[in-house]
Amino acid sequence: MDNREFDVIVIGGGITGAGTARDCAMRGLKVLLVERMDIATGATGRNHGLLHSGARYAVTDMESAEECIRENMILRKIARHCVEETDGFFITLPEDDLGYQATFAAACNAAGIKAEIIDPGLARRIEPSVNPDLIGAVRVPDGAVDPFRLCAANVMDAKLHGAKVLVYSVVTRIMKEGDTVKGIEVLDTRSGQKSEYYAPITVNAGGIWGNAIAEMAGAHINMFPAKGSLLIFEHRVNNVVINRCRKPANADILVPGDTVSVLGTTSTKIPFEECDGVRVTADEVDLLISEGEKLAPALADTRILRAYAGVRPLVATDDDPSGRSISRGIVLLDHESRDGIRGFVSITGGKLMTYRLMGEWTADLVCKKLGVSQACRTAEVPLPGSEPVSMEKEPKKKIFAKAETGRHGGLASRIRHENELQNSLVCECENVTVGEIEYAEDNLDVNNLVDLRRRTRFGMGVCQGELCACRAAGLLKKAHRCSDEAMDDLKAFIEERWKGLYPVNWGAAMRENEYTQWVYSGMCGFGEYDTEPTE
Amino acid sequence: MKFDVVIIGGGLAGLTCGISLQRKGRRCAIVSAGQSALHFSSGYFDFLDRTADGKAVENPLDAVSALPEGHPYRKIGVEDLERYMGEVKPLFAGCGIELKGDWSRNCYRITPVGGVCPSWLCLGEFTPFTTAQAEVGRNVMVVNIPGYMDFNARFVAAGLEKRGAACRIVDVTVDELSGLRANPSEMRSSNIARLMDSGHVAVRFAEAVRMKLSGEDAVVLPAVFGLKDSSVPQKVAEIIGVRTEYVATMTPSVPGIRTQMRLRAAFERLGGTYILGDTVMPSEIRDGRVVCLSTVNFGNEKLYADAFVLAAGSFFSNGLAASRECVTEPVFGLDVHAADDRSKWGDMDFFKRQEYIGFGVKSDADFHAVKDGVSVSNLYVAGSVAGGYNPIAEGSGAGTAIMSAMSVAEHIISKIG
Repeated sequence: MDNREFDVIVIGGGITGAGTARDCAMRGLKVLLVERMDIATGATGRNHGLLHSGARYAVTDMESAEECIRENMILRKIARHCVEETDGFFITLPEDDLGYQATFAAACNAAGIKAEIIDPGLARRIEPSVNPDLIGAVRVPDGAVDPFRLCAANVMDAKLHGAKVLVYSVVTRIMKEGDTVKGIEVLDTRSGQKSEYYAPITVNAGGIWGNAIAEMAGAHINMFPAKGSLLIFEHRVNNVVINRCRKPANADILVPGDTVSVLGTTSTKIPFEECDGVRVTADEVDLLISEGEKLAPALADTRILRAYAGVRPLVATDDDPSGRSISRGIVLLDHESRDGIRGFVSITGGKLMTYRLMGEWTADLVCKKLGVSQACRTAEVPLPGSEPVSMEKEPKKKIFAKAETGRHGGLASRIRHENELQNSLVCECENVTVGEIEYAEDNLDVNNLVDLRRRTRFGMGVCQGELCACRAAGLLKKAHRCSDEAMDDLKAFIEERWKGLYPVNWGAAMRENEYTQWVYSGMCGFGEYDTEPTE
Repeated sequence: MKFDVVIIGGGLAGLTCGISLQRKGRRCAIVSAGQSALHFSSGYFDFLDRTADGKAVENPLDAVSALPEGHPYRKIGVEDLERYMGEVKPLFAGCGIELKGDWSRNCYRITPVGGVCPSWLCLGEFTPFTTAQAEVGRNVMVVNIPGYMDFNARFVAAGLEKRGAACRIVDVTVDELSGLRANPSEMRSSNIARLMDSGHVAVRFAEAVRMKLSGEDAVVLPAVFGLKDSSVPQKVAEIIGVRTEYVATMTPSVPGIRTQMRLRAAFERLGGTYILGDTVMPSEIRDGRVVCLSTVNFGNEKLYADAFVLAAGSFFSNGLAASRECVTEPVFGLDVHAADDRSKWGDMDFFKRQEYIGFGVKSDADFHAVKDGVSVSNLYVAGSVAGGYNPIAEGSGAGTAIMSAMSVAEHIISKIG
């Protein structure tokens, strides 16, 4: 086989595609993973980062609840460095029906989710930020998961098992011979070059963009883009996930993650044209805050770091042509039996929590089609970085050592700190060093500053990359090759940062934004204020 | 405590106003919360860089008439502006601050990322370039201090090369800097400058630069010399022996901090009282006048004065405050120019004109602050707390601060004697 031929092509570098690629690669298949942007840029990187216990679905969708709790327990084992075991509360407020609590707890326990009704006073002591007016609380095994890290770990393990990964590569054509998909044509958006790749099976794991990919192959999936907006608060307001004990609604989940807390979401159906570059509106921000402060009153006075929005891929069930009946669970479509298109499979629906199971089902189907009889091992084999780390091994106790271990788990030992430069801090909010940036660029497919942020948390702290962006722009390899490209990258980073800050531009955030304007628009003279030599 | 004038804010506007008043024998107090915009200065003072449609301005005074009514420059008027502009260099020289450039013409500056922007006057170590070519030399050695990341030699060199120079980037360091490098967050411009201020370190550094020269006719250095001793940049240049250009770094700005310290020292030398690290509490306006102020540290001990100047800066300095609902002036609750609708505060494109940068306190033709539609007879506004102009979009931050401060000082003298 030459380097353009594979056993399976997976389209989509979100968590579903990454999990599918890892599973297929671990079963010995030759895998190509193709992503149009960076990994985890779609819904994967734009959600709560909630390690669902499944409790949220227990009353309405037992099957999803059971899947969630099984996967929850698996992720705690295989992705230790991506998971924080915080537990979660489902609280009942005076305006809610306390009667729902018993129904809820019973449904959880029936689904295998350990749900314990606790005294509201105890809940306040365990989680002091919770609304003190609560009249009921149920404790469940929710947690926090870092979706960027989880996705990166899956991609890395796929590569360790021989997979080839192409980022910034858009699928421009699905090549068919008669009714059979033979491969894809890909445009590398960085070089502008087109290439063809071939495989007997192509998997569409494109999230909401999978709708268009299916169309390219001649299949139709009835999908609906649903926008969900979220807010990130500047510090960990809570240490236990706080949910409302009622039917799922807007802004009813507050998740602590790393150094911040995340509140969400709203839910609005949007047209497909708006899926790229969704923005959070002022009304959504106001709604999130007014609902969020019912979970934790401190949110009303806590600085918001940024706002962001993702697009959930909702899928209508195949048996309902009206499209009103939405599939709640995982949707695996074999287009051969469904549409008569051979060599093409779509995996969609589902959730971040069930990505591994989605990968398993998909890899099972791919293996069956290829006549391969390897069993799935992704539930047992830990992801790279998940191995337990003893901090005592680090006698130097550099301030960044703990941050690096938190971000990269066992792989942090690969970060080189051989000289003072590699020890120099670039991002002082999140303790990111030159050494960690070098590691990320060499090992984690970092192409630009925004990618770097997703891999290292660089620029994610209170200053949102105000000064470290300029430092890091000069460090990335492209700065050595072409400073114009590096400068454009810096501007793109600042624009991306502003996209999240614009909807929450008041208070302390506005002070920071004004300062950033003075530095980049004023002092550096970027953008509108660029003055070309007139001579 | 009783003063003739109490000024809220110790940045460029507050200090210029205080120095002007002290020089005329008025007893002033300045209440300053801490850092000012000078700490992130480019080392150049802008007056009016661009017209409303984004064109570079050559003769700033000529462009004033096209500014909207209500702009601080329009309130002052061309005649007084011209007089103040001529007074700026002597005023600063009297404070031990050298300013270069022709006050009647704009110059050009090299930005920390190697670009070229219009500007007005500049601090002593910089050059007021007369053309947008901002020519430094034919063969230029750009100095990089390893581990110091707030000056990007590569960006600066690329800018120079675009404008026709041949550049070589050379790492230069001295042993004394390794103490800073051992601690990962200490490699800051102000810390480097503090070390360089002890003469022998700067001399050793300059000698190390000279040793690395290989036929270049010019050297570019980051402006991290002369935090207290403003002769250091010149000494370094003399040792290097070829034309030496300093380029501003990312924040903090060493020349900016030095300027702020010198203005403060000059104000105090003239007999002014500088109250540092204190914050003015919300204060009352009674019968159209301010009687006194309270501060956090002085508690019940109030500051009385005949006139008060609000020069507290913009949002960053807490001179203005924005909540989710509205923009306010936190000390007196003055009227502000600001859009009611939050969605109109900014542009979704970061690099486009941002309206909130132009928000500020309303004032009358004599810079009296306005509250509930009525001028407050003894309260004036100066600098970026004032509304009616967008200092980033038009490039007028330092000029509006200095001009409004000088104008306010004259109004106070003519009114209260």
